[in-house]
Amino acid sequence: MLNGDGNMSSKVTERALNLIKSMPRVALNNIKPLPHTAFKKKTDRRGDRKKKGRGDKGQGARGTWDPLGYEGRQNPLIDTSPRERYYAQYAVRRQYPPVSLLDLQRLIDLNRVNTSRPVDITSICNTGLFKFDISKNHFGVNLTDEGCDQFAAKINAEVQWTSELVIAAIEKNGGTITTRYYDPQSLAALYDPLAFFKKGHPIPKCKLPPQDALLYYSDPNNRGYLADPEKVLEAREKLAQKYGYKLPDLEGDPFKEMLLMRKDPLQIFFGLEPGWIVNLRDKSVLKPKDDDYLRYYHSAQ
Amino acid sequence: MFRTYSVLRNLHRQSRNLLNVQNERLATSLTSSYKSHVSIDKVYPNSNPDFLRKQSESPKVSSLEKFEGYIPIDQLEIATSKSSGPGGQHVNKVNSKVEMRFHLESADWIPAWIKPRLLEQEHGRVTKEGYLVVRSDMTRKQMLNQADCLNKLRNMIYKASELPKEPTAEEVELKEKRMAKAKDGILKSKRSRSLIKQNRSSPEF
Repeated sequence: MLNGDGNMSSKVTERALNLIKSMPRVALNNIKPLPHTAFKKKTDRRGDRKKKGRGDKGQGARGTWDPLGYEGRQNPLIDTSPRERYYAQYAVRRQYPPVSLLDLQRLIDLNRVNTSRPVDITSICNTGLFKFDISKNHFGVNLTDEGCDQFAAKINAEVQWTSELVIAAIEKNGGTITTRYYDPQSLAALYDPLAFFKKGHPIPKCKLPPQDALLYYSDPNNRGYLADPEKVLEAREKLAQKYGYKLPDLEGDPFKEMLLMRKDPLQIFFGLEPGWIVNLRDKSVLKPKDDDYLRYYHSAQ
Repeated sequence: MFRTYSVLRNLHRQSRNLLNVQNERLATSLTSSYKSHVSIDKVYPNSNPDFLRKQSESPKVSSLEKFEGYIPIDQLEIATSKSSGPGGQHVNKVNSKVEMRFHLESADWIPAWIKPRLLEQEHGRVTKEGYLVVRSDMTRKQMLNQADCLNKLRNMIYKASELPKEPTAEEVELKEKRMAKAKDGILKSKRSRSLIKQNRSSPEF
């Protein structure tokens, strides 16, 4: 049997069509209703009686059950041990894996990190010795105070969390330290810049910190990147008086400019602006010219 | 397989070097152009961004009427040694104890009227040569012990500079009022007691 374009139709369709031809007409005697529309006969009449299947008197009949877990006047099992919220809000809490001053000094001594440039999270990741994972809520590095007595390098450090002792140790040696927030999208680019540039996405603009972190990063005592520089100056002097060292005079120092280098709050790479696309293969940088794009990449919203 | 791995590693290192800016001139322009709406000079327009600049030379020492808390570190002799107590190899080998000393009489950063009071209060800490000695091995870290020494020293000087406080007019008034009230209460009880005693004896006509 031939179909429209002149080919032989399949056996299945042929058989189906023949079946339909030979079947009787649809009538009331050869159709049945759909299962859900059929009249459901109520056969179980147990609950229809006087007590509705609830028995005689008591809590069962009156529906005044004790709360679940209640054990008479005995202390219920759930109250016997205290509540320890170890994992409360674990998915939301930010984590800052530690890198000690001792680790940092070792990296510097072994030339794994270039101290003539600012040392930030990317420099630490590029050593290959420290790995950070965004899926585990790693929001950057926490520089700890282990090895503060042995630390003897003059660096411009940029970390995400630190303590007062670390700030003192770094400033004692003539360096500077800044605490800086990066959102997860920016961190993805910072942890592995090479992989990010290969994707060909425009460099993201860094978001401002969330409400609970804004105070920390605006505090001059933490050397926050959003703090007032005048207050940072005062805080440096106060800390020098607290820990008993003299702030070195950097007037004629060739490193002074490097030590003062800071990224803009929306910037994530030195020398590269948000919105630019780095083309590694052609060794070029693509920059947007449209006003709307430029306005977007220069504003915090 | 190892050869491929080393080749890949070299490629990775080369690409990393590409990102490392070697040129000094280019490096200085790294901070230059990009300024967003929330750059620090816009958020704090009246602040000088150079927080590494030199401040005026020891401004606090000039007024020697009151101790402000400023201690010139270079006028103190700081020595480190090994701490005492338990701690195994760490306490045996590491110089975490800090000793700070200075000649009390010739210290120009302490107001003159405080010095004799300080000498009297801390006579146990002053040597025969007149050096005030402060020690600390409170923590495992030398920096923290040094901070502790300075803290102790500051507290000593503040304590020595405490003058007895004159009561204010309000305080005097309040005290007088309270004393008068207390006195009234005593007199009242005396009078009632006296009446009781009088009532025990027979009346005199």
